Amino acid sequence: MKNLLVLVAVALIAAGCAKEKTAYGDARGVETVTNQFGSTDLQLIAETMARSMQQASVIASGNLPIVTVQEVKNKTSEYIDTRSITDSIRAELQKGGRVRFAVDAPGMTQQIDEVKRQQSEYYAKEAAVEKGQMVGAQYRMEGNITSIVKEVKNTKDVYYKFNLQLWNIRNGLLEWSDEKEIRKTTTR
Amino acid sequence: MKTRLILAALAGTMLIAGCATKKGFEQPGYAFGCPIGDQKVGSMDDLVKAKTAMEGHRTTIQPTEIRCTKAGELLKIDANLNNDSSSVKRIAYKFRWMDREGMRASEEESWKPLMLYNNSNMMVSTVAPNAKAVDFRLILMSQE
Repeated sequence: MKNLLVLVAVALIAAGCAKEKTAYGDARGVETVTNQFGSTDLQLIAETMARSMQQASVIASGNLPIVTVQEVKNKTSEYIDTRSITDSIRAELQKGGRVRFAVDAPGMTQQIDEVKRQQSEYYAKEAAVEKGQMVGAQYRMEGNITSIVKEVKNTKDVYYKFNLQLWNIRNGLLEWSDEKEIRKTTTR
Repeated sequence: MKTRLILAALAGTMLIAGCATKKGFEQPGYAFGCPIGDQKVGSMDDLVKAKTAMEGHRTTIQPTEIRCTKAGELLKIDANLNNDSSSVKRIAYKFRWMDREGMRASEEESWKPLMLYNNSNMMVSTVAPNAKAVDFRLILMSQE
């Protein structure tokens, strides 16, 4: 009994003394810690979609179309921050310099608040922005992400499908659409 | 007699010109549609060597063909990757983009994981992130 207690005590001390090690990694490296939606999936989707959309005729024409970002519906069984995906797509497209983005629905409150603030008595009237000067988008970007998960004793297979669409707001026509598929399998 | 000679010379010139365009080096500084600058590229193998780099763990996967074209203002690339081994291979790849001066034309791409079946080919395609990106390198890394 005494021996057992000593062993437990030694094990606890050893566990307590185990040194933690932290190191910076490659933010753009392939991440395979689990088969849940991860950074590599987000980066793959954002890059593929942005590059594909740049080839859409309405964007390739060079007329600097104005796009607003709408929701990407998460139809998977896990939590995915789809706003983060659309933010990355928007950043990639913005850097390409062929698209302009109009303020989207979640950013509207902040936009209106700022316009109102500038119209207050604290700002010089000639430099303050006026109401009614905002430019509406010509196209809206929306999409969805779905998944199929299958699991047997030692194997878990996850299939993701991300679909993105660019709709013409004026006439309701679908101007561009593309998909990215990802399969990840984990075996024990 | 003179007319015949002129016609024969003309036919010869056209034949040579025809053969020259078949090789695919129709534009100086380009091979198979891909920018090569002042590098000497005489074949597809030369182009693959000039445009491919290995980083991290080396892989036996090799591009066998790289072809480029323009999609509007953007450079579009198709690269055929070959796995001639008898086992499935897992790699990661990315493209590195340069501008006319050889400077980075965009931030580093993310590594893209890829699985290749044994004795198989896979075509990877991409398009330049912006119009400034006029040259590239295909970077490969083993994931095994």
